[in-house]
Amino acid sequence: MAAVLDVTPENAWTALWHRLQQDRVGAVSLGIVVAYLVMILFAAAGWLARGWSVEVGVPYANPAFLGDRPNLEASLARRFEQKGKVPDLRDVDPLAPKYDEWARRTAELKSTEPERSMTLPWGGDRWGRDVLAKAIKGSQVSIAVGVVAALCATFIGTLLGALAGFYGRWVSDFLEWVYNVFTSIPAILLIFTLAAVLRSGPLAALFASGIWTVVIILAVTGWTGMYRLVRAEYMKHREREYVLAAQAIGASAASRMFVHILPNVSHVILVQLSLLVVAFIKVEVILSFLGLGVPVDMVSWGTMLSEAQTELIIGKWWQLAAATVFMAIFLTAFSMLTDSLRDALDPKLR
Amino acid sequence: MSALVAVSDLRVSFVTRRTSVDAVRGVSFTVREDATLALVGESGSGKTVSAMSILRLLPENAVVHPASRIAYRGENLLEASAARLRALRGRDISAVFQEPMSSLNPVLTVGEQVAEVLRLHRRMTSRAAVERAAELLAEVGIPEPRARLRAYPHELSGGQQQRVMIAMAIANEPKLLIADEPTTALDVTVQRQVLELIARLRERHRMSVLFISHDLGLVGELADDVVVMRDGVVREAGPVERIFHAPQDPYTRALLACRPRLDARPRRLPVIDDFMRGRAAAIEPLARPPAGAPALQAKQLRKEFRLRTGFFASRALVAVSDVSFDVSRGRTVGLVGESGSGKTTVARLMLRLLEPTAGEARLDGTELTGLKAAELLPLRRRIQIVFQNPYASLNPRRNIGRTLVEPMRIHRLGASEAHRYERARELLQRVGLPADAMQRYPHEFSGGQRQRIAIARALAVEPEVLVCDEPVSALDVSVQATVLNLLLDLQESLGLAYVFISHDLAVVKYMSDEVLVMRAGEVVERGTPEAIFASPQHEYTRKLIAAIPRGYEGRYSESRA
Amino acid sequence: MVPTLAGVVLLIFLLFKLFGGDPAQILAGQVASQEQIDAIRRELGLDQPWYAQLWIFVREIVTFDWGKSWMTREQVSSIFLTRLPATLTITIPILLLEAALAIPTAMLVAYYRGTLLDRTVVAICVAAMSVSFLVYIIVGQYVFGFQLGWFPVQGWSDSFWKNLVTYAPLPIVLAALVGLAPQTRLYRSFFLDETKSDYVRTARAKGLSEPAILRKHVLRNALVPVVTNISLLVPGVFVGSFLLEIFFSIPGLGREIFLAVNRSDYPVIQAVTIYVSVLTMLINLAADVLYTFVDPRIELR
Repeated sequence: MAAVLDVTPENAWTALWHRLQQDRVGAVSLGIVVAYLVMILFAAAGWLARGWSVEVGVPYANPAFLGDRPNLEASLARRFEQKGKVPDLRDVDPLAPKYDEWARRTAELKSTEPERSMTLPWGGDRWGRDVLAKAIKGSQVSIAVGVVAALCATFIGTLLGALAGFYGRWVSDFLEWVYNVFTSIPAILLIFTLAAVLRSGPLAALFASGIWTVVIILAVTGWTGMYRLVRAEYMKHREREYVLAAQAIGASAASRMFVHILPNVSHVILVQLSLLVVAFIKVEVILSFLGLGVPVDMVSWGTMLSEAQTELIIGKWWQLAAATVFMAIFLTAFSMLTDSLRDALDPKLR
Repeated sequence: MSALVAVSDLRVSFVTRRTSVDAVRGVSFTVREDATLALVGESGSGKTVSAMSILRLLPENAVVHPASRIAYRGENLLEASAARLRALRGRDISAVFQEPMSSLNPVLTVGEQVAEVLRLHRRMTSRAAVERAAELLAEVGIPEPRARLRAYPHELSGGQQQRVMIAMAIANEPKLLIADEPTTALDVTVQRQVLELIARLRERHRMSVLFISHDLGLVGELADDVVVMRDGVVREAGPVERIFHAPQDPYTRALLACRPRLDARPRRLPVIDDFMRGRAAAIEPLARPPAGAPALQAKQLRKEFRLRTGFFASRALVAVSDVSFDVSRGRTVGLVGESGSGKTTVARLMLRLLEPTAGEARLDGTELTGLKAAELLPLRRRIQIVFQNPYASLNPRRNIGRTLVEPMRIHRLGASEAHRYERARELLQRVGLPADAMQRYPHEFSGGQRQRIAIARALAVEPEVLVCDEPVSALDVSVQATVLNLLLDLQESLGLAYVFISHDLAVVKYMSDEVLVMRAGEVVERGTPEAIFASPQHEYTRKLIAAIPRGYEGRYSESRA
Repeated sequence: MVPTLAGVVLLIFLLFKLFGGDPAQILAGQVASQEQIDAIRRELGLDQPWYAQLWIFVREIVTFDWGKSWMTREQVSSIFLTRLPATLTITIPILLLEAALAIPTAMLVAYYRGTLLDRTVVAICVAAMSVSFLVYIIVGQYVFGFQLGWFPVQGWSDSFWKNLVTYAPLPIVLAALVGLAPQTRLYRSFFLDETKSDYVRTARAKGLSEPAILRKHVLRNALVPVVTNISLLVPGVFVGSFLLEIFFSIPGLGREIFLAVNRSDYPVIQAVTIYVSVLTMLINLAADVLYTFVDPRIELR
């Protein structure tokens, strides 16, 4: 008979903290992610990038670091604005005599409108909005969507997975059928179907503003991976002796599922949650790019990229760069952090 | 005879990011030509690391000290090039490992794997290699060797898989075979067959064998020289006869003594501590109370498992069939059998962790098996269980205090939470652990300590019956004695009835008043331990008894074959 | 498979019925009188009880007759068939190229595990995966199509060979390179998991060299999860390239679906979803059979 022993993860959380401290890459990644979280909290509170939608610059304004580079479109726009857009029809216009009077009156009432600047820190977009502010606000929106959607998908997947894994038999059979139905439909098609239905149906008015449409689409499409994982873990743990011991002393099923097993599975769930956040952010960007994501009055990395495509042709690359850089740094740091997390929680690597 | 492999002053450490652990701290031994050397020790002794250093089959984070030397016929293997080592491995020196199932490649056939080692070291066509592979399989005792060539590892039994490993190891007529606990993962009856095979092959091929084991009794039958290790150092070394008849080192003496003997039933088993401190072990015979009214009764228990073979079809697997027994307070009924005998299923049926298909169990006259959950709860107080695996039976994310208090809370014992914690501390004391263990977590304790915590948890609700499902099988020999002694003490002071389950006949004999031998779900023989040993009636019981390692007295020799 | 199919049909039906807009109104358009809307309702069978509507739905699926697209008036079934070849011309080469590149790369990286090379490659993969696919397409199209002119920026033709040689290469190469990073990382983890196994220790004990162990033992075992992974990607060949199709104006199924979503063209969306799901289930079934050849431990039930 075997004297082979099963080494289960030992008090993972303090061990995790120690190992993260030693892993330099992990620590740097954690720092970057925390910095982003602070930034988006500020943005959400309105302390940063509040006026992102205000047209503070000329259209296609140059970024500050490119300063005086010739910018045909910007100077055209500036001249256009200064000159006025209406052709001179004074000869034939019956209202012509009134113009001078109106101009006098508006000059008195005119609010102080700051003159649009020629350059912005990271340039301006087609309407002259500050690209840097958009990037910050876009970070907030994209990351918020990713995190909230991931949490929703995790909740659904964990609950269903726990039930299926713990109870087995017909509960598991039924949930497996549901899982099969959802995974037989390719994810993109499910997303498109949900997008079509949610925008034109009765719920469209309910979700017109805000991120909930995207969040629902992502959560409903993305819960299946978590379900599979949690179900497998619960099936493994329900046979473990500490669970049987809990049953022997009289602990209820709910207690065994959520008080005993769940803490032992939480590290697996955490890693999967982090992977979901990254995946969902990337999908949100694509959806917003296609116009199926966040509503038009919000900005996300995806909407910035959709504008960037046409801008690139006339040589304006800064919005593309801003969105890409902000997104790449965050996702790289977050992915590295997830890797460090996974290594730190893996009992075999200790 | 000259030295084949001479290990001198071997020091090996494992380096992780934070720490460095010294696994082997200055070990020296010599393997003679055409002889068997046994490396004996418990877990953590460094025996496996020492042996694997010969072939440098160590994990990537192992560091060997430059002063160490391993000489194979005079050549220092620690300084050999990678190419030279590869030439020696599988040809001059080969290895057999503990877990045959995972040591074989699951996606290649048995024939391919055996032929591979032949083709690697000799110039053989694949046809010739396959032929030779079939011959080797026949030599190691695999029936229908030609057909087996095309089989995959998972299609073979554990014993057959190990035979295949041995075939691969002897294929190129090595001078030395390193066997790392080759029988530990196998059933007792199969163990004996594999051991006899190794001994036979050794004599026939004039091979040396380096045999690693934790079981001194096993080793006594097989080895010519014995090296006893503990904590990375050699405690004692010498010819096998001297080690068994005149051991010098207290640890060696303790290892020899703390196995339950088959001829006597002492009041307490001697433990390592007794020997290390020079205390003589008292061998008073064990006094057992007479049988009384049964505390636990099992009547014709039957358990079938349904296996799904298709969408609507299923097959019944009978795990337990017609098992009956009873046990009264202060006494023990022992269930002994190998894997698949159904003994663990019986344990779970007793605790209502599984539902019986037929039959019933009664606790002090009250029926246990038909009750619904709500009615069952008060009965759960009266019967508890201790599991085999001390590493899995405690929730790793809870400290000991919470683990001990939870059962009391569920059954509303103790006037207040503080009272319960106080009681938990008393329980810890009773099982021999300090009160400050309350805040600590399972991973901070050793296997034996965790098992004692599990016993404390079981006692928290003051049960009348305790089911012990292989409680010491996963523990080192020296620790086993401690736990067994504890169980006996508790039985005496609390008047508990035990159902003691194990595959180890010697341990069952020691602990029980009545023994049931189980095989394939049925009870094939029952009786008092003495009667069963003196005159076993059933064929299977005789096989089990014959499989027990006898130490030096049971030595194998060609003449007995 | 049948219960799953039933479930998919039910799910799609319920999604559109409960959460979708009123088809009659969408079809009639913005300015339509109540009589026109009611007429369309009768024509579509929307005035009947829900189980009758479900039956109509099922009948449509089985007979491949979905009527016409609400927007283009084209037969839905013909939409499916005419757009599929374009999609497959792009997606199948991508899948093959990705697998062909990722396996040797992952094996090479697994051989050098733990070294600086390994860590650098992993870091590059992570960084590459953090940039949106969109950016690669935008920049790729701009640099290789617009600036350098090596490939046409957009377009498609009627001839298969012209497509394969002129119009398809840029999207295919872009997608394959982008997909290389995640696949390499994934396959690397498969290889590394295998190298920690006991049978690798046995192979070393026999005297095999590290490269031989990787080739003969590890690769064969790692193929099991690799095949699993690829078989999960295969169903994606039907719609997976929708971004590429949109950017490069390739008249494929993915782009068609996207256009249908934009104009709320329900029949097209429903039909494509159902049929691709059926194809997915069939492919999964075929994959299960394939497993029994790759992993001898699995028996076909």
